[in-house]
Amino acid sequence: MSNGTIVQVIGAVIDVEFEREQVPNVFDALKVVETGLTLEVQQQLGDGVVRTIALGSSEGLSRGLEVVNTEAPISIPVGEETLGRIMDVLGNAIDEKGPINARETKPIHREPPTYEDQKGGNELLETGIKVIDLMCPFARGGKVGLFGGAGVGKTVTMLELIRNIAIEHSGLSVFAGVGERTREGNDFYYEMMEAGVLDKISLVFGQMNEPPGNRLRVALSGLTLAEQFRDEGRDVLLFVDNIYRYTLAGVEVSALLGRMPSAVGYQPNLAEDMGILQERITTTKTGSITSVQAIYVPADDLTDPSPATTFAHLDSTVTLSRAITDLGIYPAVDPLDSTSRQLDPNVVGQDHYSVAREAQEVLQRYQELKDIIAILGMDELSEEDKALVYRARKMQQFFSQSMFVAEQFTGQPGQYVSREDTVRSFRAILDGDADDLPEQAFYMVGTIEDAREKAKTLVDEAA
Amino acid sequence: MAGGREIVKKIGSVQNTQKVTSAMQMVAASKMRRTQDRMEEARPYARRIRNVIGHLANASAEYRHRYMVSRDVKNIGYIVISTDKGQCGGLNSNMFRTLIQDIRAWERKDVPASLALVGNKAAGFFRSVGGNVVAAINNVGENPEVESLIGGIRRMLDLFEEESIDRLDLVSNQFVNSMTHRPQIEQLLPLDPDPEDSYKHMWDYLYEPDAEELIEGLVQRFLESQVYEAVVENTACEQAARMIAMKNATDNAEEMIEELTLLYNNARQASITQEIAEIVGGAAALE
Repeated sequence: MSNGTIVQVIGAVIDVEFEREQVPNVFDALKVVETGLTLEVQQQLGDGVVRTIALGSSEGLSRGLEVVNTEAPISIPVGEETLGRIMDVLGNAIDEKGPINARETKPIHREPPTYEDQKGGNELLETGIKVIDLMCPFARGGKVGLFGGAGVGKTVTMLELIRNIAIEHSGLSVFAGVGERTREGNDFYYEMMEAGVLDKISLVFGQMNEPPGNRLRVALSGLTLAEQFRDEGRDVLLFVDNIYRYTLAGVEVSALLGRMPSAVGYQPNLAEDMGILQERITTTKTGSITSVQAIYVPADDLTDPSPATTFAHLDSTVTLSRAITDLGIYPAVDPLDSTSRQLDPNVVGQDHYSVAREAQEVLQRYQELKDIIAILGMDELSEEDKALVYRARKMQQFFSQSMFVAEQFTGQPGQYVSREDTVRSFRAILDGDADDLPEQAFYMVGTIEDAREKAKTLVDEAA
Repeated sequence: MAGGREIVKKIGSVQNTQKVTSAMQMVAASKMRRTQDRMEEARPYARRIRNVIGHLANASAEYRHRYMVSRDVKNIGYIVISTDKGQCGGLNSNMFRTLIQDIRAWERKDVPASLALVGNKAAGFFRSVGGNVVAAINNVGENPEVESLIGGIRRMLDLFEEESIDRLDLVSNQFVNSMTHRPQIEQLLPLDPDPEDSYKHMWDYLYEPDAEELIEGLVQRFLESQVYEAVVENTACEQAARMIAMKNATDNAEEMIEELTLLYNNARQASITQEIAEIVGGAAALE
């Protein structure tokens, strides 16, 4: 063990001087002896001085405090002992159930799997959410991004996915809370406890009140847990809420380290930062990681560098749109902007594929007609276009669905719609079998039969 | 946010649309006067002949012409007056809706409908919704001629005579004033004895050469004048409706341009602010 002393403190950035022969490696964890604060080495400045970021509050630090080099990167407990527990970025339990006595600890930095270790999969993972199953089906072992601006329902959609997949799914899950609200983490914990699946899920939180270092590394901690389960040969679900906070923490750290900001003020190594994280979230021959990542879109601008760099890493992108929230349709998935690599006739089947594509065509045509309708009015459309517009509007309503996790807001019980039912229902709308039903009948219902049922009650109410 | 250039392009296209709609509005406004005059001119004759027919239907006790005899309605015929061109708001579609309801009502009584269509829009509409079209008169134009209508009317008369239809209705738009047009369905055949009291007292007509021939000719004139009047009235409705529809369209386009301009200004300002922030940030980093 070599010891050094703090020579400079600027917020979360701390410079530590060591003997010239004992300069710590980049990513080594250092420990401030007096406060127990962990520092992570980011740069070697020369003359035995290293620049580190604090993984915790840097209050009370002063020049001259003694620092110990642990001569290893940050390591966290992994394996079955972490199930049902909540830990922070350093692997300390924060659920007040005592320390996590794992047999094994793993460093949070490691190389992504090599080309030959990786494995693709096309087995579908049903989510029970109509618009997602139809437009952007998930694959087991795939990577899914949930894009959305502020307040369009990313977290609620994510929780619904967790409920539908993790609870139905027999495997293990890891949830990484990156820079989001602590309340949500708390809600989530109790939700899982109520559902009785807490013993199958490991939680890691570095929420928004924590220093940038924590938020930057907590995604890696969560990932390390998932990787361990994968390498044990299991199928893991990894949920990350929210990847954008990871980028944002990167920006803060980058600025503190004195790097020149790049486009829109992001760190110059944005693509690399994102790659380091995303490349590790992969399915290998031993086991699979199916990841669902919420990604905040600043100012609803999908071309912003942060969401833009994330796009390329994903198999399915689910885009939540404000225009759809404004219509009161939840989940506000934009059926034209959301895609999936699995939407391929060889994977989902010809039926599903053609229904999805036809639905997109109809919705696209409706988008184009909107301007005409806005200026000239519905009356100027041809009969075919009118029918198309009505169908498009019905589909738009039909994309809404009451969610299990939102029961307390909507007062309606959630619905799980199987993919078959979804495809069949949309086929019926496209073929005009539901032209006789009023538009409202499609709002917040499950299948086409439910819509018929609702139309009946609507008529009864009116009568 | 969408790029500034895209928004500018969209504003341009909406502006072009607006130019077209406002031009159409002005054209329709000037045509409206002429078509209204023509409608006024057609009315006295139509009203006169309706009077005469009303008298006849009430009067001639000794002879009932077959056009006057009500039969059980097993088949119904419609003469539908529509416009040739669109861009006139809900004028045609409101009328079609009224008509379709009427047809449905008859269908529930197992009475199928045959249609004689005037105007391109009716032809287009029934081509897509289906319907038994027995005659179609297209391109009647803005200055309709009676001659162009005769063929279609004759066809319906023939059907009535051979009892393929037992009732003939005229469907058209009624011109209430330049803002209001009302779809209406009028019975043409069998001749409806006019309920007005003035016809009720006894009239004694002497027919020369004989009643049948005279009534035959008269009824034909009557139908022609009714249909012609309806067509002329519908043209007046069309121009008025087009004027209103195009005015609304122009206003809507204006509103859209305003919204888009606001969006564009926002986008432009955002990009300026960002550029400044980046330059300042970059400069500060170099210091």
